[in-house]
Amino acid sequence: MKKPFEYQTGKLLSDGIRSVTELEKRIAVLERKAVREKKARNLAENELERYSLEIHQTNQSLKDALAFSTKKQSELEFLGKASMGVASELPLNDMICNMVELTCQYCSAEYGFYFVTENGLGVDGKLDKSWREGDGWQSRSELQKLVNANLPLSETEVLDSWLASAVSDDNNQHLEQFAWVLYMNFALSENKIGWLAFLSKMELVDEEIFPILATARGHLKSGIQRRLTDVHILKRNVQLQDSVNSLENAKRQLIQSEKMASLGQLAAGVAHEINNPIAFIRSNMQVLKEYLKDYKSLHDKLKSEFETHQNLNLLSFKTLCEKVDLAYIDKDSVDLLTSNIEGLNRVGDIVDNLKNFSRAGNAEMTQMSLYKCVDAALRITGNVFKYEHQLDNQLSESCPLVLGNLGQLQQVFMNLFSNAAYAMEGGGKLSISHTESDHRVTIHVQDTGRGMDEGTIGKLFTPFFTTKPVGVGTGLGLSISYAILEAHDAQVTVDSKIGVGTTFNLSFPVNT
Amino acid sequence: MKGIVFVKFNEFIEELWGEEFWDELLDEAELPSEGVYTTVGTYDDQELFTLIGLVVDKQNISAKNAQFAFGKWVFKELYNLAPAGAHDFKDVFKFLHAVQDFIHVEVKKLNPDALLPEFEFLSETPNQLTFHYQSPRKLCFFCEGIVQGLAEHTGQEVKVSQTECEHEGGQRCVIEVDKV
Repeated sequence: MKKPFEYQTGKLLSDGIRSVTELEKRIAVLERKAVREKKARNLAENELERYSLEIHQTNQSLKDALAFSTKKQSELEFLGKASMGVASELPLNDMICNMVELTCQYCSAEYGFYFVTENGLGVDGKLDKSWREGDGWQSRSELQKLVNANLPLSETEVLDSWLASAVSDDNNQHLEQFAWVLYMNFALSENKIGWLAFLSKMELVDEEIFPILATARGHLKSGIQRRLTDVHILKRNVQLQDSVNSLENAKRQLIQSEKMASLGQLAAGVAHEINNPIAFIRSNMQVLKEYLKDYKSLHDKLKSEFETHQNLNLLSFKTLCEKVDLAYIDKDSVDLLTSNIEGLNRVGDIVDNLKNFSRAGNAEMTQMSLYKCVDAALRITGNVFKYEHQLDNQLSESCPLVLGNLGQLQQVFMNLFSNAAYAMEGGGKLSISHTESDHRVTIHVQDTGRGMDEGTIGKLFTPFFTTKPVGVGTGLGLSISYAILEAHDAQVTVDSKIGVGTTFNLSFPVNT
Repeated sequence: MKGIVFVKFNEFIEELWGEEFWDELLDEAELPSEGVYTTVGTYDDQELFTLIGLVVDKQNISAKNAQFAFGKWVFKELYNLAPAGAHDFKDVFKFLHAVQDFIHVEVKKLNPDALLPEFEFLSETPNQLTFHYQSPRKLCFFCEGIVQGLAEHTGQEVKVSQTECEHEGGQRCVIEVDKV
């Protein structure tokens, strides 16, 4: 025991003789101290006991929490992998097989199955095969029979959820002892039903796996739906492509027939154009035939003169020549022949341009001159402007070159020109000019015709819209022209005023 | 307050004035715990203040001196209980920083509900350190005693004082430690 000492001096207190009273008092102090210490020890022991109980409980709850989080982790892992499989680009069957493998591992089943039935009969999937951890997919037809016997395969309605049923089959006796079969199904295309089934030896099925399996089932169904839709879309795409192809064909035919139709309209005009030279060539030929007769009679006369006199004097030759007016015939024959050749050239030109125009041809584009194109179109349609109309073509070789198809653009311009002529019934002026800006060249085709109202302008490029009487126009000319111009990356604007006239502005990218 | 403080206070009083005096204190104090203290328990702060009040009355010393003496005495006792890393410091200033940064952190781990003082260091030179002592218990004199006990332990001679003190009309308690 420590000896008491004075705080200030540190001097030991009386160590001397104590009285009995003092000793009794001291015993009482020590007794109380002993009581306090005993109580304190009890308190401490209780406290320790409480601590160890607390620690035990904490430990227990930690273990529970660990088990819980391990379980959640495996659930999350399963769902995560399942979602990844579904979201991947795996083909339908591979995706479902992947799901079988994941599910089999997750619910600790022995074997997993995937097969497709139609009217209760297996038709597709991994028929007669099953998946087992470590072994993968292997042929086990006796297990498939066991599964088939335990599943409602003949049901045509798809199940709402996962189901588990106790395995009940005589075969089971000879095989491994399975306790449960866990299964679900889903609709595939054409009345087919896909089945997932799992054989388990566990005595009890943990009910807590069902919500997780239900989530995975939702994922799987959406994955299947997406893949089926993809296949559907692919089919539709092929159909659409076919339609596009046949439309393309129809369009080509339409353009060709429109060309033929306008050709028909032009034929009359062209016939007139060809008839003219033919008429004067015929009449020239008549005259030339007469001249030939004159030459023959001169020749005969000269021959008889020569036979009579065995000589031909200059005077009588001159007299004979003057008689038939040979000088005039000489000069006129040359004129007539020159005129005939010109006439034939004109006919040749018209025929050449018609050939250019009517050639169906592909839409191959080459560098070409708009000036030449407009000129060729005018040669064919020009006759309609010859009598009542004035024609003012301001285009020249200086007009920039563009990338295009000569035949198609010629068709466009012919169409515009014949429309202009139709609009200017009884006279007017057709002006053709060009402007350039921002690497584009714009051809302006201006007439002084009757003009169009807003409604007509709005429908200008609509197929089969026409203001011409029945039987005169097809209503396809401008719509086909528009399609051709679009293919040439050309822009079309129309300015029109009733009673004043119309201007078509066709703007092409310049090809340098 | 943790039971260790009461147990150490008991030892301190008995060492100074004997078991009879302690017995007398308990007899007069009429404490709820009846003075049955264990290191694993927690007791009302007021019990310590009551006991100190009685010591002050009976021994005719100031509360300041009582707290200071107990603080100085208790340092080595607490030091022996401190976590392992706390024994590496050989300098008063470094140790005071460690109290805030290390020892109190370790104490909190073991006793999450422990109410510990906060030291806000205000200035430091090689020979002088001032810090703001913040504790709802307002045991600044006890803290001064502990610093003194610490200095004895490290073998350094220091002068501990307060430039401001709540018990003496100040807004806060600022403890200044000067190496002599």
